[in-house]
Amino acid sequence: MTSPTRRALLRAAGVTGLLTAPLAACGTSPTISEDPDELVLWYWDRSASPELLTKAARSIPGTASHVRADAIGTTFDTKLRTSLAGGAYIPDITYINSNNALYFRNENQFLDMNELGAKEYASDYYPWKWDLGTTPENRFCFFPLDIGPTGFFYRQDVFEQAGLPTSPDEVSEAVRTWKDWIDLGAELRKATGSALVTTAQSIYEQFLNASAERYLDEQDAPLYTKDGSAVREAWDTAMAAISAKVTAGIPEARKTDQNAGWSSGKIAGSVNAAWWSQVLQESAPDSEGLWRIADQPVRPGNSGGSFAAIPHTCKDPEGAFAFIRWINTPAHQAEAYNDVQLFPSAPDSYASDTMKYGGRFFGDQDPLEFFSRAAEHVPTSFISTWESVISGYFTLEITNVETAGKDPDRAWADATAAAEKALRKRGVLS
Amino acid sequence: MSALNAPPAAAPLRTGDGAVPRSRARGWRGILTHWPQYLAIAPFYVLFLVFGLFPIVFSIVLSFTDWDGMGDIHFAGLSQYVYLVQDSRFWNAVANTFIIWILSTVPMLFLALVIAFLLHQNIRFRGIYRVAFFLPNVTSMVAMAIVFGSVFSDTFGIVNSALTALHLDSVPWLSSSWGIKVTIAVMVIWRFTGYNAIIYLAGLQSIPTDLYDAAKTDGASTWQIFTRVTIPLLRPIILFTVITSTVGGLSLFTEPQVLLGDAGGNGEAGMTIVLYQYNQAFTQFDFGYGSAIAWALFVLASVFAIINWRLLSERSETPRRPRTRRTR
Repeated sequence: MTSPTRRALLRAAGVTGLLTAPLAACGTSPTISEDPDELVLWYWDRSASPELLTKAARSIPGTASHVRADAIGTTFDTKLRTSLAGGAYIPDITYINSNNALYFRNENQFLDMNELGAKEYASDYYPWKWDLGTTPENRFCFFPLDIGPTGFFYRQDVFEQAGLPTSPDEVSEAVRTWKDWIDLGAELRKATGSALVTTAQSIYEQFLNASAERYLDEQDAPLYTKDGSAVREAWDTAMAAISAKVTAGIPEARKTDQNAGWSSGKIAGSVNAAWWSQVLQESAPDSEGLWRIADQPVRPGNSGGSFAAIPHTCKDPEGAFAFIRWINTPAHQAEAYNDVQLFPSAPDSYASDTMKYGGRFFGDQDPLEFFSRAAEHVPTSFISTWESVISGYFTLEITNVETAGKDPDRAWADATAAAEKALRKRGVLS
Repeated sequence: MSALNAPPAAAPLRTGDGAVPRSRARGWRGILTHWPQYLAIAPFYVLFLVFGLFPIVFSIVLSFTDWDGMGDIHFAGLSQYVYLVQDSRFWNAVANTFIIWILSTVPMLFLALVIAFLLHQNIRFRGIYRVAFFLPNVTSMVAMAIVFGSVFSDTFGIVNSALTALHLDSVPWLSSSWGIKVTIAVMVIWRFTGYNAIIYLAGLQSIPTDLYDAAKTDGASTWQIFTRVTIPLLRPIILFTVITSTVGGLSLFTEPQVLLGDAGGNGEAGMTIVLYQYNQAFTQFDFGYGSAIAWALFVLASVFAIINWRLLSERSETPRRPRTRRTR
């Protein structure tokens, strides 16, 4: 057994150095790109106009920087949260979906864009959307991209068969309240056997999406336990729909069944967001021309729509904000609609002549005209960061009532008890 | 099931054969002398350390904390485990996992054995059948879930169409508690029967043909040969498949997730332990609780490993049957 030679030791040291060098290099910068003029944007497919991104890749107008857009696939949140938690490979600009409230708990990870001059642009956007991007600490961290104003999509041909009102104006007039809407569904069921919507859960959720109040207030205090709370009203509406048998009982997870229902007219409608027209056109292409959109009961809501944010590690916050504002000017949002059907959060976009819906899916009705009007009436609301922890219990119990015939009172008691337990576990309630 | 695909014929443990006498030059000097060899095996250990051991150890730590995956980590003592024991959703997931495991493993292994026995006979196009039975195992899970979702669809599915054509009642496959479990079990059976059949086939090929000849000479029927000769000699391989199916069954995730989504379907009837863990950690961002669930699964799996090990060691005490040759 010989002792190691000097050369062997040197070689071992060299190899070790080679192996660890790239690891050490990772730790130096929290951002992805070493180029000081290159701002990395994380987005997902169809959340930005490819044409505008190509322009920004050359340079962001008015700055020396340019954007490198990285399309991040599935589990976007997990990837973003992981890089933020690790303090490495953090993008300079990131898009965040409508679940931006999830990041309220860690809002210091993002820059307050009011400090970058966002305030002067506030009047360009729907005020309720602007408010959704404001944190409970009153910091403006999430800039409006697109929105999802909602309406009542229905199959005109099936309504006609059933002897119901058929034109959008007549239908809107006939369903001013949720009770009227359910009564209309019951008539539809009796006449044609078709369901009005897929699930009671969808009614419950869209009811809440159209209310100013939701599960928790800005101090994280539960509102759903109070008498006459929005959650309770939404719940009662869903229960009424179940007992009137106007829902098909086919959940979101069973897309194939839902699509077959909409194609065949067995499900004759849906309360859904503007972006859903694209989904419907792709999943039920044979029903072109048969669909119309009417006002949903009471008032329109908002479902979905994303935001842009600047992580605290951004190497050039001014440049990043310049990009966010540039890609969201009313004119550019109109372009993005034409390109990838993102529904503008800036009302002036609709005034531009370039923005057009070319299809015949809704016959002679123009969905743009409908939804731009609906967007004006969406109420301002606050979405708590803890909502996603408890909302599942309510929808689960609604499904239990709908498909397993569970007693509604017991279901409500179970849902609220489970929600309370979950909030206690996460330290929201003590 | 998917986790383990090592060749089935476990090499007998060699003890005491060729044991090197302990050299005094162990430790650092030995490592330095043999550095090229150590370097050659280092990549695996480095990768394992970073992507295997560290996450495992860190998940133990996490299970005693409260962490949303982004902010500060707060020490929480045993509270995650206390919550776990009282969490009815967790116990529902445990029950679901075991029910689906039984519903899938028993018919799957039986079918695999029968298929392997048939494939072992002198039939035409044997190669084609073997490939055909193995194909489901390499098919994309997501594509498969869409197909199964359509086949078992409540209102528009081909299974229910067939049932109504036969004047039977249609079954709410994807919305009733048992329907969901049966559908997931069928997916597992479809995917892994071929895999297990190939393993059984390898085992069958190691059984000396003179035993069959002797049985035939004695006038045994095919059924008798199957039950009296084949099955006893296949016992170690059957045990292997039972163990891999147990591991796979306890960690069942992809099938319910792609078929029913993160929530596990109506009434959480398709919520398995791993799906619940995923749900808590990666959709609710409660990493402390997710880790606690993972370790609870570890305990459950350990209990099963011990049961399996007991079964195995009991087997070796019985007088040895004619030696099976190593396969492949």
